[in-house]
Amino acid sequence: MNRRILHIDLDAFFVSVEQALASNLKGKPVVVGGRPDRRGVVASASYEARNFGIKAGIPLIRAYRLCPQAIFIQGNFAQYQEASNRFMEIMANFSPHLEPVGLDEAYLDATGTEGIFGHAHELALKIKERIKDELKLTASIGIAGCKVVAKIASDLCKPDGLCEVAPGEERLFLAPLPVSQLPGIGKKTEQRLRELGITTIGQLAKMSPDSLKKYFGASGLILHRYANAIDDRKVEPPAEAKSISRETTFTEDTLDQSFLQATLRYLCEWLGAELRSQGKQAKVVTLKLRYADFETISRRLTLTEASDRDEVIFTAALQLLSRALSWKQKLVRLLGVEVSNLMKGKQLSMLDSETQRLEHLDRAIDRIRRKYGFTSIQTGRTLPLKGV
Amino acid sequence: MKLFCLQENLAKGLSIVGRAVATRTTLPITQNVLIATDESRLKLSATNLEMAITCWLGAKVEKDGAITIPARLLTEFINSLPPDRVDLSLTQRTLELKSGRFEARINGIDALDFPPIPQIANGINTTIEVNALREGISQVVFAAATEESRPVLTGIHTEFDGDRLTLAAADGFRLAVHKTNLLSPVSGKSAIIIPARTLTELSRLLADQEEPVTITVKQPKSQAFFRLKNIEMVSQLIQGTFPNYSQLIPQSYATRAVVDVAQFSRAVKMSAIFARDGSGIVRLVITPRAELTPGKMTISARAEEIGDNIGEIDALIDGEAAKIAFNAKYLTDVLGVIHQPQVALEITTPSSPGVIRPVGVDNYVHVVMPMFVQW
Repeated sequence: MNRRILHIDLDAFFVSVEQALASNLKGKPVVVGGRPDRRGVVASASYEARNFGIKAGIPLIRAYRLCPQAIFIQGNFAQYQEASNRFMEIMANFSPHLEPVGLDEAYLDATGTEGIFGHAHELALKIKERIKDELKLTASIGIAGCKVVAKIASDLCKPDGLCEVAPGEERLFLAPLPVSQLPGIGKKTEQRLRELGITTIGQLAKMSPDSLKKYFGASGLILHRYANAIDDRKVEPPAEAKSISRETTFTEDTLDQSFLQATLRYLCEWLGAELRSQGKQAKVVTLKLRYADFETISRRLTLTEASDRDEVIFTAALQLLSRALSWKQKLVRLLGVEVSNLMKGKQLSMLDSETQRLEHLDRAIDRIRRKYGFTSIQTGRTLPLKGV
Repeated sequence: MKLFCLQENLAKGLSIVGRAVATRTTLPITQNVLIATDESRLKLSATNLEMAITCWLGAKVEKDGAITIPARLLTEFINSLPPDRVDLSLTQRTLELKSGRFEARINGIDALDFPPIPQIANGINTTIEVNALREGISQVVFAAATEESRPVLTGIHTEFDGDRLTLAAADGFRLAVHKTNLLSPVSGKSAIIIPARTLTELSRLLADQEEPVTITVKQPKSQAFFRLKNIEMVSQLIQGTFPNYSQLIPQSYATRAVVDVAQFSRAVKMSAIFARDGSGIVRLVITPRAELTPGKMTISARAEEIGDNIGEIDALIDGEAAKIAFNAKYLTDVLGVIHQPQVALEITTPSSPGVIRPVGVDNYVHVVMPMFVQW
């Protein structure tokens, strides 16, 4: 049976979320990543900003030089996470065969859904419409018989596009495209291929697998398959995560204890909320510290009982942080926390009223955050972060 | 000091008191064993300041005296001697040991520096049959907490009430309560908290005892004293308030399943193999008898991405169908100390405590909190 696979990609995701929330940003060059006088890179740029040559990954200061009138914003990860969750929820309505990729992309296997939603093309239109109605965002969708072609198709039709490659026409569709469109081909591989006289995917497809293997090793074989539109990877829900982590790079290196602790608390609350939403408990807490000189350390601690409580994760992480800082007093550039050795199921307790009170507190905060957003409520420990 | 005794007796005595020798300590002398003549016997004592054990063994005493000797060194030396007569003699602080063609000299520390072992003359005083005490300890001691975050939970709540002795232990996730009879009643009601570690050691000492054990609790309740034949043990007590556990024992149930202990235990152990990766979760599904099928209980576990198992056993069920998940360890622990052929598992909801009782006796109850899982 011919597979029908959709690749759905939200356009300029971070910026579009910002524009959806603040109408005065619409139609303007907007850059998410931070203020241009601070260090950092562009996380996302609106299509208006892209006209000036700004793209994700370039330093903010260069973006400013390219387009001084652009609006630079810090960005709010919690908002993007929320938008992403709603995006995935919408698509989950259409097929159980859903594979999220990052926050703003997903593959959906529509094989066999014709009876319910009609042709894949109509399904894609329905998805686009719901995303536009409910999230005020635009998506570009590629439809093809395999993942790699669907992905290329969605890339080609951005923004707000829809591109379907008819069954059996995949190779014809790919042939004229430059090799750089193929996932897995970076600057170096592209350069190497150019030296071999190969610039289009069609030319690449004609090369023998043996010679590609000779030039590029095992990945050469994959290039050969992709260039010939051979890709039997299934659309699969992501494997169970082995760990969950969050980290943040400070705009300025710091050793301010109350600020570091507040940030740590914020990260731990985020991890706790994520654990609880997945119904998991973590047994190991790992702290990651990067100092101003880029020396990076990580320290881990095993909990006596697996936990999903903010307070327990924070206490462990704080212990690790205090120990690390008492050992080495250096300005900190990045702070991160990871929870791992995740397990499902929670041992209920019979006596510990304090534990139970903290559980109730976490649950109450979770409910408020689900309804009004992560930043709608904060604990006293994170107060030094207000307005940052 | 000058005496001789038999190697077997000395080795046995050292192994008895060795349980009380301090391992990590800031007071080095507590790593020694006190050797003293006591009338015409040899007395050995050791203490880690939480508990002390003293035992007496037969010896031919020629000259009285006392010394403390590093316990480990002495024990290893005595254990390596052949079974024969051992002569001990003390010259200043050096103990000389001779047995046949072997001899050794070990330097000790003055006996006067050894921490005094409390003597308890008056207080609550009673006696109990050895096997009753052993069974009581074995049925509760594993349920005590091992971490020190709530010290009272590392102890066994011991209540004397007339001729009743009630032992209880709880670690926050489970509760074990055992009732037994005293041979001589105490006046009134009184309760103490004895460290679980002490009772574990006491239970070991009881293994080759036959005569009733005398228990004395010093007032105000700071120490408990156990007298066995030729052995005495003193334990510090844990101060604090033990949780009022009687209110934690559910008074009713929605489902009661009576199962064979051996079958249940086997099925849980089997599932525990698969539950190892998943925080020990085993799932019990209880299905009452239908017209043609007898009542049954299934015990299952799954390891993410690895595999799963399920076992089924017969069950006599009173009440409705039910399911509940427990930590496998908590089930195997309690099933391992029940000697009756059948147990009853009583449950109310998947997130309220489960109760396990041996069928046919009413002196033991075990409460286990379930695990919250997505079914």
